[in-house]
Amino acid sequence: MSETVLSVRDLSTSFFTPRGEVQAVRGVSFDVRPGEILGLVGESGSGKSITCMSVLRLLKAGGRIKSGTATFEGQDLLSLDEDALSDLRGNRIGVIFQDPMTALNPTITVGEQVIETILRHRRASRAEARARAIELFELVRIPSAATRLKSYPHEFSGGMRQRVMIAIALACDPQLLIADEPTTALDVTIQRQILALLKDLQQRLAMSVILITHDLGVIAETADRVLVLYGGLIMETAPVRDLFARPAHPYTLGLLGAVPDLRDDTHRRLTPIPGSPPDMAAPPPGCPFAPRCPHAMRQCLDALPPLFGTAHQSRCWLHHPEAPKVAGLNEVAA
Amino acid sequence: MLGYLAQRLGMMAVTLFAIVTLTFFLMHAVPGGPFVSERMLAPEIAAALNAKYGLDLPVWQQYLNYLGRIASFDLGPSFKYPGVSINSMIAAGLPTTLRTGLLAVICVVALGVPLGIVAALNRNRWPDTFVMFVATLGVAIPSYVIATVTLYLFALRLGWVPTFGLDDWRGYFLPVFALSGFWISFVARLTRSSLLETLQQDYMTTARAKGLRPGQVLFKHGLRNSLLPVVTVLGPVVANLVTGSFVIEQIFALPGIGRQFVLSITNRDYTAIMGITIFYAAILMVMILIVDLLYVWLDPRIKLTKATA
Amino acid sequence: MTDIAPNAWEKLPPEATASAPPPPAPTFGQEARRRLWANKPAVISIVFIVALVLAAFIGPFFSPYTYYKQDLKLANIPPAFETYTVSDGAGETTRIFLNASNFNIYEVDGQGHVLGLLRGGRKDLIQKSQPFTFGDTEVTLDYSRLPARLLAADGSEIRPSGWSWNRTYLFGTDQLGRDILVRQLYGAQISLTVAFVATLVNFFIGVFYGGIAGYLGGKVDAVMMRIVEIISTIPLTLYVVLLMVVFDSGLLSIIVAIGSVFWVDMARIVRGQILSLKSQDYIAAARTMGASPARILTKHLLPNAIGPIIVTLTMLIPSAIFIESFMSFIGLGVTPPLASWGSLTSEAVETLRAYPHQLFFPAAAISLTMFAFNFLGDGLRDALDPRMR
Repeated sequence: MSETVLSVRDLSTSFFTPRGEVQAVRGVSFDVRPGEILGLVGESGSGKSITCMSVLRLLKAGGRIKSGTATFEGQDLLSLDEDALSDLRGNRIGVIFQDPMTALNPTITVGEQVIETILRHRRASRAEARARAIELFELVRIPSAATRLKSYPHEFSGGMRQRVMIAIALACDPQLLIADEPTTALDVTIQRQILALLKDLQQRLAMSVILITHDLGVIAETADRVLVLYGGLIMETAPVRDLFARPAHPYTLGLLGAVPDLRDDTHRRLTPIPGSPPDMAAPPPGCPFAPRCPHAMRQCLDALPPLFGTAHQSRCWLHHPEAPKVAGLNEVAA
Repeated sequence: MLGYLAQRLGMMAVTLFAIVTLTFFLMHAVPGGPFVSERMLAPEIAAALNAKYGLDLPVWQQYLNYLGRIASFDLGPSFKYPGVSINSMIAAGLPTTLRTGLLAVICVVALGVPLGIVAALNRNRWPDTFVMFVATLGVAIPSYVIATVTLYLFALRLGWVPTFGLDDWRGYFLPVFALSGFWISFVARLTRSSLLETLQQDYMTTARAKGLRPGQVLFKHGLRNSLLPVVTVLGPVVANLVTGSFVIEQIFALPGIGRQFVLSITNRDYTAIMGITIFYAAILMVMILIVDLLYVWLDPRIKLTKATA
Repeated sequence: MTDIAPNAWEKLPPEATASAPPPPAPTFGQEARRRLWANKPAVISIVFIVALVLAAFIGPFFSPYTYYKQDLKLANIPPAFETYTVSDGAGETTRIFLNASNFNIYEVDGQGHVLGLLRGGRKDLIQKSQPFTFGDTEVTLDYSRLPARLLAADGSEIRPSGWSWNRTYLFGTDQLGRDILVRQLYGAQISLTVAFVATLVNFFIGVFYGGIAGYLGGKVDAVMMRIVEIISTIPLTLYVVLLMVVFDSGLLSIIVAIGSVFWVDMARIVRGQILSLKSQDYIAAARTMGASPARILTKHLLPNAIGPIIVTLTMLIPSAIFIESFMSFIGLGVTPPLASWGSLTSEAVETLRAYPHQLFFPAAAISLTMFAFNFLGDGLRDALDPRMR
């Protein structure tokens, strides 16, 4: 498939802190295709959220995009002027944040927070915008939508608040929805409902979705394609079935080993990955995962491996034709 | 809402009662009586005066009488100026104090808040450094120092404004500035830190992610929330403007209640001290109540918690 | 593919991949100290405060003057003056300066020491002039026009020959001829003493009250905090004024008045800290091990609440200095001849028109001190509790 909704190339983002430059994203490239759910998975600090916030230029203080492009509908979001970009935000690209407790303004009614988004991007009267807000509330299944418009965020439960966030994100029928850990702050039962809702809406509205999560279960259930990030780099990328069936990177393997599988009745122990993520203020010159990798070689400390493979890619020296073969690790198709 | 108001008014009545009681017994703990301090009176005159003011009664009866009078908004007569009631003393000084006080509050809000916003939006750049430097000056220098130094510079040296009184409109400049200087600085610092914190909030990112224009983001989503802490200090601001006015009215010779209060202290006019203290307390509590109601109106989260509490 | 040496494919031994153990994290105290020392305004403030305390308490011993010794002949002398040189015709010269506000002429020496007030001839009250004789030279002080000037015998104006710092009274003298420098130092002594002692009293009351309320909790806490709420409705300055009216002015009464009133904030903070700490596991552990409430309060709770307490304490000192000077300014503080920054300012205001320089010293002293304590408080807050920033 040649057409893409969003095409990110060689994105690098750093945070400038008193202790120096923290390289949060180090040259990430990926495409989002029409109507697909792209999962971004990684530990906290792997750069998955920063990648998406960079695309929308919504970085917090100290963050700066150092290089790269992000092409959306023929325009480079990273070099677009602020006005034109804000015309796209909330309009062609919707965003859902992790914590619906803090992402909604506590002193403004939820209705107004939806309506102001519509009024910003559409030629509509207040009454029309209000009607659209009710429609959206019904779409995200908030009961008695019309009366709930007048409520404040604190009068909602966490799950309901996240529905409000989704309503805001969908207010202007976006082409692309960025969902940054949309279920992390919610109860497990609510998580399922929200995920089901997202998947359902994605199909009905034919949107593309970038789903950021650290939860492989969420990815397995929802995503079409997966990017695994570690140390600000893409470690492995594959269609979701391939990733789970034939993981090709030791880090992915480690992640899968740390997830319980209820269908597995062999009573294997969960194996956590030893060590902790690298310090991105002083990233190692070689593979960032090498210090924690059970297969680390001299080469891994010296040089950063490239991405091997095409449809299924993996950033590991073990895929090098001269590299020794390791049992248990799947090959990527060259 | 009504229940909340009733609860607050009840609380106010209790507090006022406590203050009346405290001031009454404090003043009666002063060694000797109100007439002892200066000239020696003939015993029979002293007795007559004591009888006239009800001072020959047992203390508890005096206390009850006083409470009764306070309840009917009568603060009683002055001991030092026969025939003058405390009520009329206050009425005479009120316009002056009210005018300067109101102007000072306006200055605090109209200068402190914008300065804080400018500083926050230019964090760590020169406008921020400048505003914070001036604000630190303003917080550190006592009001009477500001008053005397500006009095010397602008009134005595440069002659731009009169040295005392409010007959000329320019006479308001220095007293209002001295009165509000500390609080302008305080509010500027508070607004700055509060706005900086608000700007870090997730919902500000949401507002930008919705594509709202920078002005909308700042004024609709940022300012309202960051001004909530500023509203809470408005109560104490009013309270401290009142006590600040003692000195300022003294220095600039303004015929206000503050000067009257200081005069009563030097004269040891005990009923006046008591009366004005109680008047201040009542005014303050009304102000704090108004500020609290304003806060409830501004912050929807409060309504719910208080109503259920 | 690039050339990769064959030995690059060797598997690394486990110890090579294991990252070095992290250096021991600095303790809270070390970290706080480092942050404080890195804060330049705070360090300068500490130096200033130490210097001020030393000057206030040791300085007066090195001065030949006392804070109460009056010399009306040498009243209102400025810290610097323009000198005139007059020769008496016999080769002797006299250096004098003219106090332009009270029309007195004083003799000074070459270094700027004030030697004394010169007696002139009869004042001509109509002409507004006064003759002074130096040997056979006569000089007329003419104050019919302001500023006053000195005229030679031929009626020409004598120009000042230079200016000099006052070496006898470095800061000049006040309206009763007392040395301003020494009064400043004594004033600093009193202001600082009142501030420190009152703060200490507040500290004990606040910690005691807040500690009990927070530790006992429940109904007792509710009642105690309701009382605090009532107290804090009224501006504390009013209480202090009332107390001062009852006690009558004086050093002890102002300490008692300020000390008994400003503990409310401290009580609130201590209570808040205790409440949040109480829910932590190590307190439960201490309790199950049978530690007595008093022991838990002093050994476990207070040391952990110390950060915010120190910050509040530092912020209390400037308020105490301010209230004391405020009281002294409106005449409710220390009684003359004792001095404090407030009473010195208020004395200077009386002579503001004629001798504005007298306002400079107390105003500058109190402002700088307030500055220093504010900066130190900010610095301590940043150092001890980065979250409060």
